[in-house]
Amino acid sequence: MSGKMRILTGIVVIAIVVAALGVWFIRGPGPLDFAGGPKVALAEYRAGKPTGVPAKLEKVGMVERGEYLAKAADCMVCHSKPGEKDYSGGLGFKLPFGTLYSTNITPDKDTGIGNYSDQDFLNAVQRGKRHDGARLYPAMPYTSYTYMTDEDVLAVKAYLFSLPAVRAKPPENTLAFPFNQRWAMIVWSAVFNPDTRFAPDTSKSPEWNRGAYLVEALAHCGECHTPRNIGFALDNRKKFAGAITAGWRAFNISSDKATGLGNWRDEDLISYLSLGHAPGHGSASGPMGEAVDHSFSQFAPEDISSIVAYLRSVPPQPSPDLPATTAPVAPASHKDGVTADARGKKMFASACASCHGWSGESPVSPMATLTGTWAVNDPAATNVAQIVLSGTKRHTPDGALSMPAFGNAYSDDEIAAVANYVTARFGTKGSKLTAKDVAELREQTAE
Amino acid sequence: MHMATVLTINGETKSFDAPPEMPLLWVLRDVLGMTGTKFGCGIAQCGACTVHVDGKAVRSCVLPVSAVANRAITTIEHVGSTPAGAKVQKAWLDAEVIQCGYCQSGQIMAAAALLAATPSPDDSDIDAAMAGNICRCGTYVRIREAIKQAASGRQS
Repeated sequence: MSGKMRILTGIVVIAIVVAALGVWFIRGPGPLDFAGGPKVALAEYRAGKPTGVPAKLEKVGMVERGEYLAKAADCMVCHSKPGEKDYSGGLGFKLPFGTLYSTNITPDKDTGIGNYSDQDFLNAVQRGKRHDGARLYPAMPYTSYTYMTDEDVLAVKAYLFSLPAVRAKPPENTLAFPFNQRWAMIVWSAVFNPDTRFAPDTSKSPEWNRGAYLVEALAHCGECHTPRNIGFALDNRKKFAGAITAGWRAFNISSDKATGLGNWRDEDLISYLSLGHAPGHGSASGPMGEAVDHSFSQFAPEDISSIVAYLRSVPPQPSPDLPATTAPVAPASHKDGVTADARGKKMFASACASCHGWSGESPVSPMATLTGTWAVNDPAATNVAQIVLSGTKRHTPDGALSMPAFGNAYSDDEIAAVANYVTARFGTKGSKLTAKDVAELREQTAE
Repeated sequence: MHMATVLTINGETKSFDAPPEMPLLWVLRDVLGMTGTKFGCGIAQCGACTVHVDGKAVRSCVLPVSAVANRAITTIEHVGSTPAGAKVQKAWLDAEVIQCGYCQSGQIMAAAALLAATPSPDDSDIDAAMAGNICRCGTYVRIREAIKQAASGRQS
């Protein structure tokens, strides 16, 4: 080998090593690596059954098991457009580089997945590979679903195939170059999809392992609550530290005491997941409201408990932009407390005070109480502005409680003013939203 | 799912069948025939349906009956028997507040709750308490005047 060749080979080798190290560094740990205990293949795990359905459903047919699992994986919310048939797709996800539309996963042969074999379905759900070989965009959380067992994935398929076929073709994606190059997802997937099934951790309890399976493989909590790395994949070094998704802030759900779930009581977490509300912590709205309505509220109580046990074990990650404690109840009189934003106050008096009260403790229902919620204590006011724009509806065993959407009634400037007033009055630090910020928030929400 | 619901309305115990998510306004008007409370917008933005729950003004159109069990409800039919409500109704007549009248039971309920909590309200108190009650006839000037009369006890 000549000297030149040797140098060239050396450079190539170094480049490959640097690239491999780079990929290894960017990819970071997997979602369950924090647990640290020895893992065994599922078949060798004898302490419990972390996968599948709760014991009381074990005896039911595959379709019913699939229904439970499809709800646990929350397939419907993304694969349905409001006003259209369930699972018929067409919901638009607005990304900075274009809009992506969800697919029809009813068993229609032309426009749905009616021609999918079992293997096709496994490839789509666990590997992000479509029936025709094309790659799925990771808006479909297959890097989470990859941890599902084949048996569970196929039960979901059996459920979907038991539903009526709906003929509905979603609109074409409008992604800009280079994001419209589906083949690039082959590389993305090779780097970021572990393509591996759930392996129990023998150092943890069976309850923890069930919780891990539900949270990581099915409920895919990290897809909203874990920040993303430069490759748009989950950065598990900051697991559950919170992130902005679809224009809403998914708050910190790590075990951090100040800004995560560390100080939530078990019964608060159970109530929040199963009813969408916990006293003193507010009500789930936006994407989390949908997750509660269509997914968590349908979980068996023992599964909710397993999720809580698992969440408790996730290492604390601070959210430095949030206050260490949420603000106390505001004064009962409109005259006391902040009065800085005259326009915001005027709006609050006419549109908000009758339900939320001047103190932030709702005279109507604890579900409408603002005091103690992260939304009003977030100095960015993201979720306050979003809920004003789009409203919310909470379903409970005692009926639904709703807040109207004000997005079409008020200008961006007015919504910014009321959000700034609300965060200043009921939170620890008033936000400084502008009309432009509100316009951007409108843009980011799913259709 | 229907179940027997028991509410305390104007000091009386009322028992009826209604789904738990039915808004209190529907129960008042359609189930109990108490039509003094009006339907305006249905989304808590006009104030026509205002009633008192534990003495506070709330919009009954968005309030599921399941949320008001064990709480004292007062409607326009009974507010005249509370001290603040009696003063407000008298002032309303003295100042000839009402034009078409549709919003006025809500206005009176909001004003009575204001005076019960703040016996001598200034303009900003009136704004803060009454801004959510809309009047398409534009009786706002007379409403403000009547609230001040009710508070001071003077006649116009």
